[in-house]
Amino acid sequence: MISGNSTEPGGPALRIENLDKYYGTFHALRRVNLAVERGERIVVCGPSGSGKSTMIRCINRLEQHNGGRIAVLGTELNDDVGNIDEIRREVGMVFQHFNLFPHMTVLENCMLSPMIVRKQPRAQAEATARRYLEKVRIPEQAMKYPGQLSGGQQQRVAIARALCMQPQIMLFDEPTSALDPEMVSEVLDVMVTLASEGMTMICVTHEMGFARRVADRVIFMDSGEIVEEAPPETFFTTPRNERTRQFLSQVLDH
Amino acid sequence: MVSLLRNQKVRNTLLQVLYVGSIAALVLAGIVIARRNLAEQGITSGFNFLFKSTGWDVNFSLLPATANDPYWWYFLIGIINTLFLGSVGLMLATIVGTIVGLARTSSNDLARLLGRTYVDIFRNIPLILQVFFWYAIITHLPTPRGAHEAWGFLLTSRGLYIPFPNVSNAAFAAATLAVVAAIVLPTWLGRTSRLSQPIGQRRAIQFTAAAAALVCAAISLAVGRLPDLPLLDFPALQGLNLRGGLRIPPEFATLAIAIAIYGGSYIAEIVRGGFKSVGKGQVEAALSLGLSPWRVFTLVRLPLALRAMLPILANQYVWLMKATTMGIAVGFTDFFMIVALTINHSGQTLEAIGILMAGFLAINLSLAAVFNRINKAIALKGNQLRG
Repeated sequence: MISGNSTEPGGPALRIENLDKYYGTFHALRRVNLAVERGERIVVCGPSGSGKSTMIRCINRLEQHNGGRIAVLGTELNDDVGNIDEIRREVGMVFQHFNLFPHMTVLENCMLSPMIVRKQPRAQAEATARRYLEKVRIPEQAMKYPGQLSGGQQQRVAIARALCMQPQIMLFDEPTSALDPEMVSEVLDVMVTLASEGMTMICVTHEMGFARRVADRVIFMDSGEIVEEAPPETFFTTPRNERTRQFLSQVLDH
Repeated sequence: MVSLLRNQKVRNTLLQVLYVGSIAALVLAGIVIARRNLAEQGITSGFNFLFKSTGWDVNFSLLPATANDPYWWYFLIGIINTLFLGSVGLMLATIVGTIVGLARTSSNDLARLLGRTYVDIFRNIPLILQVFFWYAIITHLPTPRGAHEAWGFLLTSRGLYIPFPNVSNAAFAAATLAVVAAIVLPTWLGRTSRLSQPIGQRRAIQFTAAAAALVCAAISLAVGRLPDLPLLDFPALQGLNLRGGLRIPPEFATLAIAIAIYGGSYIAEIVRGGFKSVGKGQVEAALSLGLSPWRVFTLVRLPLALRAMLPILANQYVWLMKATTMGIAVGFTDFFMIVALTINHSGQTLEAIGILMAGFLAINLSLAAVFNRINKAIALKGNQLRG
């Protein structure tokens, strides 16, 4: 089922070394180091503008880094277009604003990339798509268009669409931030299920409850740096850094 | 009574009656006055003139035309000339507009600068000046003796001469239709069976349809071929003039070029706007799914941009259709010029203008209706979130 060819089965899922990213003169990421093992669930949090989204967007080259190294599943992310394609095939991404293709049905959204990138025959792509739509609990919406669904449903379709490529790593970029409060849990439930099945996940989120439940490690970023990195128990009870404490008091004291 | 006037429904009805009544009174008065004035000048009104022969010639016609033909036939010729010029002009303008519009959205600085300069120049010069400019250029080309020649094409002040197949008119028309079908059919099939077959099979169906249509074109050309002549007729100098091939008159070429260049500058902005309206998020999602930039363009950016462009494009097309009336500036016998000549020769001003208005209304309303249908068919379903 796993198809990347030059990806080593044993090595780490992700290795980021001394990552630097500039927007003009603004230093968005400052020598970030991060290693993620296969099956690990990482939650990234931090104030807005701290570089969390930029970091995960560098992992599949939606942003181009200016310094340091990124290796995904053993493949070096550089200017080699072949490497970029290979990494994108193995890394799924879910966005804050869902970004479904509004001119295609839910089913077509899910089948598009498997048919074109993985060259799957239609029947296989459809079977996979329906299986994942079942998994995110909206099989009955397959023939509808994204605009006809609620935000929570759209985000679950977006997760199914990414899963249809059968990626080895899933990136979540604030997947619940644009949702109405009552729809947050339906999306988080799907993510919890996914985590329990051993998917390698990197989630940028402010859902601290989710972090506590599923994260192996919580990472706190501020001003483009990783300030704190700890398992959730330690992170929430005995944070070492002053900035972490301040942030936690702001998001938890409600 | 006062309380009745305060009733909203009564008020609305009253206003409607007043409104319709005053318009009817205006129209009636107009008709009465026009009839009286015409009678005083000894002009008989009515449409009987349509069946009289015109007594003058047209310089361009796709249908056979002589000075003995009646007015109604000339009106038909005019409408067909307008439609022909309009469709050639719109097609060329769309091609120019797409290229320039894409240049304006490109990431290449030079392409963007060129596109912008193009739009700035041609959008801001009145169309009629551009028509005169191109007409001056074309009429100052060399005479047939010194024609610019390339691959059998001749460029002269008497028009553009192109090689033309030696086939009967009917066969040529059939072949043209078949070629159009070869372009339209695969597109249509691609839409109706979108993703309902695997890509490979869908391609095969589209390819077969296109091939079949092209074979039909080849057959009609072979059947309609004139005996004892080479398949392609090349224009060549004979004495002082050029013989053979197809001559595109300078008037037609001028208008087609002017509409293409002027319309292209407007369409370029529509194309640019269409692509700008496509959410960055959809493009990023497509990239993150591993689709190549080309696939992202054809499967996501283009379909979404087209939907944003279509309503404005329809508007622009209707506008450009009306721009064909520039024919009168260079002496191309489009519908408007035929109507103008009719008025000069027959004096039936009101009738002729009525026919002109009805003709353009019919053309542009059908155009708008076609676009509305396409628009409805491809409209995005549900609420759209702009990300």
